[in-house]
Amino acid sequence: MSMENPTGLYRYPVTKLCMVGTTMVTLVASIASCKYIFIAKYDPFISEYQQYFRLLTFQLGCVNETDMALLVLIWYQFRNLERLMGSLKYISVISLALIYTTVCLAGLNCLVNRILPWKIWNGLTTGCLPLVLALFHFYKEYTPQVYEFEVLLTQPWSQKSHRKQYKWILNDQFLVNALVAILLINQGVEGIICGFISWIIGVFLDKGLLPGMDRWRLPLMQHLLMPKDASNNQGVYENPGGETSEELLIRRDDREESPGASNGASPLDDENANDEPARPLGVQFLETFRT
Amino acid sequence: MEIDGNTLLIIIIILFLFFSTPGGDGVSSQYEFNQLQSFKSQLNTEYESFEQMSYNSGFRNITGFKLSFNDVKDDPQRNATYPIPSKDYDRWFQNQDYLILPEDVTTRVKNEVWSPNMNKPEENVFPPNITSSLLGRIQLISNNKHPRIPMPVPRFYESPTEFSDVTPPEGETYFKDWPAHSELHNVTFDTGELTIQLTHVDKVPSQLGSQKKKFFNSQTDRWKFLNLRISLSDKSEHERHSLYTNAIYDVRRGRILAMTESAKFHSLFAFPHYMNLQNDNDNDDEDTFDSLKKAVKEYWDKSNFVKTLTMGDLQSWYDESILKCEYMVFLQLSPWNQYTRDQIKMIDDELNWPLGRPANLSHLPPVTVSKGILYSPDCGVELEFHDAKGERYGLKIRSIRTHLLFGIGLFIAQIYLLLCQMHHTNTPSSVNKISVYCFSMINLVDGSLATIYFFSASILPELYLPLVTSAFACFILASVFETRYLISVYASQLNERNVGISTLLRGGHSTNEDTDTATAVVPDESSISGSLYARFFFMLVSFTLLSMSARWWPRKVRMMFEYSAIIVLNSYWLPQIFRNAIKGTLPRRNRLRNQRMNEAMGVRRQNKMPLLWKFVLGTTFIRTLPVVYVFTYSSNVFRHHRNVRFVVVLCLWLLFQIAVLYSQDILGSRWFLPKLSIPEGYSYHKAMPAQDLLEHGSTAGYTIDCAICMSEVPIRVEEVPETHKVDEQTYMVTPCAHIFHTQCLENWMSYKLQCPVCRSPLPPL
Repeated sequence: MSMENPTGLYRYPVTKLCMVGTTMVTLVASIASCKYIFIAKYDPFISEYQQYFRLLTFQLGCVNETDMALLVLIWYQFRNLERLMGSLKYISVISLALIYTTVCLAGLNCLVNRILPWKIWNGLTTGCLPLVLALFHFYKEYTPQVYEFEVLLTQPWSQKSHRKQYKWILNDQFLVNALVAILLINQGVEGIICGFISWIIGVFLDKGLLPGMDRWRLPLMQHLLMPKDASNNQGVYENPGGETSEELLIRRDDREESPGASNGASPLDDENANDEPARPLGVQFLETFRT
Repeated sequence: MEIDGNTLLIIIIILFLFFSTPGGDGVSSQYEFNQLQSFKSQLNTEYESFEQMSYNSGFRNITGFKLSFNDVKDDPQRNATYPIPSKDYDRWFQNQDYLILPEDVTTRVKNEVWSPNMNKPEENVFPPNITSSLLGRIQLISNNKHPRIPMPVPRFYESPTEFSDVTPPEGETYFKDWPAHSELHNVTFDTGELTIQLTHVDKVPSQLGSQKKKFFNSQTDRWKFLNLRISLSDKSEHERHSLYTNAIYDVRRGRILAMTESAKFHSLFAFPHYMNLQNDNDNDDEDTFDSLKKAVKEYWDKSNFVKTLTMGDLQSWYDESILKCEYMVFLQLSPWNQYTRDQIKMIDDELNWPLGRPANLSHLPPVTVSKGILYSPDCGVELEFHDAKGERYGLKIRSIRTHLLFGIGLFIAQIYLLLCQMHHTNTPSSVNKISVYCFSMINLVDGSLATIYFFSASILPELYLPLVTSAFACFILASVFETRYLISVYASQLNERNVGISTLLRGGHSTNEDTDTATAVVPDESSISGSLYARFFFMLVSFTLLSMSARWWPRKVRMMFEYSAIIVLNSYWLPQIFRNAIKGTLPRRNRLRNQRMNEAMGVRRQNKMPLLWKFVLGTTFIRTLPVVYVFTYSSNVFRHHRNVRFVVVLCLWLLFQIAVLYSQDILGSRWFLPKLSIPEGYSYHKAMPAQDLLEHGSTAGYTIDCAICMSEVPIRVEEVPETHKVDEQTYMVTPCAHIFHTQCLENWMSYKLQCPVCRSPLPPL
């Protein structure tokens, strides 16, 4: 299982951002008691009150804490994608998928509700379910299956000779599949409808029917993601061979350096290292309580 | 845990104590049982008489209503008995022959308070939910004009005089028999402050001790049951009256009738008749009477009024009756005619269950009582007020929540600044220059805030989440970050304990104390943290209790306490100024020059100012902002009075402190001390006499092995001229006369202020 990702979030800035963001937005909204801005029901909010902002905000936070927990777990599983694409491309794809799913779902929802007389699809989901479902296509497409295993089940309380054996074949991705399935069911019919549409959007995005996959990069993200990443380990990160930073950028972009790759992981040793290693702040606080 | 006989015994005793407390109705003796029985049977008889009461018949045997106003006026010595000969019980008119109100109060209620032009239910819209607390100013009309209606208290309420008493005494006592409480039975100020807290009573518990509550009111479109807490006080809060009343709110007409309830005034039975004070046609009146009687009956039945009475009720009814006047309160709400009923419903829904409906809550008008009269039949006091206003409770909660969120933001900013400051002073030498008292003051305020937040979270369940988050943020700031920092400051200053200021000015070194300091044991951080935490929590609890109890002090004392506490607690930079003066930093220009020199030599030197300017300014801003808000913004959520002058004084005081700190940064921290008073500090860089050097086993070339890097240190020896080319800055001599390379020892001193060889304390750089 050497293909497994390293555990933890070291050098997964985008995954970290998504996990922390999902949690914090929900928590803060809950403390501020304004979770309702994530609810986008066509009737009454859109049709009666004309609160169109809800069509833009419905993906940003969850109303239900179960959804939040599921989404955080799924984001963690999706760190494969960040390793595969590199942080910059990953966050660009995320932003692109966010825009497409929001626009398509909001547009389709309004259209369906205007045209059809029945209320079959009254509301949109809360939380970033559509975004996750769009990325789910990428996950299934580009993450290879590493291993599979069988679960053998026999019927109890029957004769040994004609005992039927059930065999379940599960693979290493069954956790993600299960989480996504629960997430879809958790929001009822709306979850399944929105999830399906978003998954189609993911497919279109990948196949190029929806443009932007190759060229769209979030501006400024380069500066936010990379230098911080380089400076927060203790050693000084230097360009080998005198490359200018721009060249480095291009190169990195081209070969899509994976953040989880461990060759840069160990910090360089400081020449003037003291015998006692510098204690990080967390350790210092914990030592307060050590007796 | 092993359980032996003794432990088991203790557990059994504790369980016994738990289970042997009087449960349910709180009866703990035969006497109390009989008291409660008399109480219940009295109420049952009165309820029966209430059931027979109709729109055309008067009160019969109901406590507090046995005498009418004219009965007393005709014969002031008359006792409240039933039946009174020659009294007409079978008819009812709204005049002082039948009412307990004097004629002019009745007319004013009819014409001014419940004015006829508010009497068209279809014209005016009143909000059905008026939970709020109203503020206003109250005026005394008269306190000696009207005769006082005698209201006796049955003697079975009295507590037993002996242990052996089993049956409570019979009979009644009158006001003249009670111990003197004259000031409570009168209102002596002319104008005063009024607060009214309105709460809805929609559900009642139907069993003793059960938490389950049931709806009882089947006519919520007409009547609402309220609880009113009315408190009156004069401006200086020397005289304070607080009344707890039941009230009925006529939703269609915006009228509220509130009456206190006690052992001498069973007002619940009087609501149907007294709600009817109006100049109107009789049909409507009778309908009102019957409908209201039904509502009272529903309340009585659903709440099992008699069965759920406890000893606690009995005692509080008795206390209320002895200590306070009974009041009847007539209020008229202002209508919300700018809204339709649907809009008001949407507003209510949005306040109960926010979903972002377009209710425009920010423009919601206040709940206003346009006019009100308070009359006390047994004390003859009459008061009135106009325009008491207050925000809807739900709105108030929303605005408090916004303030709390802002406060959390401030806490987070403070945590960030503190982290920067901690990062800035990360060595014992630099931490040594920080004043413990400065951070203790900051810490005390934060800690007590955390406690107050935590307590109020249990008081205000609607705000539980933001309050607990604030308490958590504040607690993290106070007890983790600040205390942690205090511990390291304290640990670095242990050397200086029991050392006089003049010695400290010299840099913590004195020759005659060498023997003492050499043997001093420096305790480790865990023991320091233990003692500091204990001190922190003791200070915290005592300060919090003090400030909480201060809320109930009279206004003048309270204000003095508040102002002095704020001024003292905002002098947090003062100890740091003294500390700077003691430790003595160079002026900024010299420091920069030294730094450049040291950088050239490749030496790290610790002579920066101990406090970051970002931290100083940020902390001052964060801590002053709430005070400024509370004292200058007149409609603040704490209802604090406005005092701009005090805020200006406070800001000037803080600016003065900051200015002194800045001058210390620019001019050197001792600029205000006369040169002569500053003794010479300890210098690590000095030449050695040859004799001392021999004791340390110097080699022939006057060098010594540095115990840290084990390489040779060339020394400048006073007697030997050829060593005089050695720079004194390259080595350091400790007070315990050990010698190291400057770079080696300074590196070490950023971890510990102890001599690496003999462990005696080192004066910080």
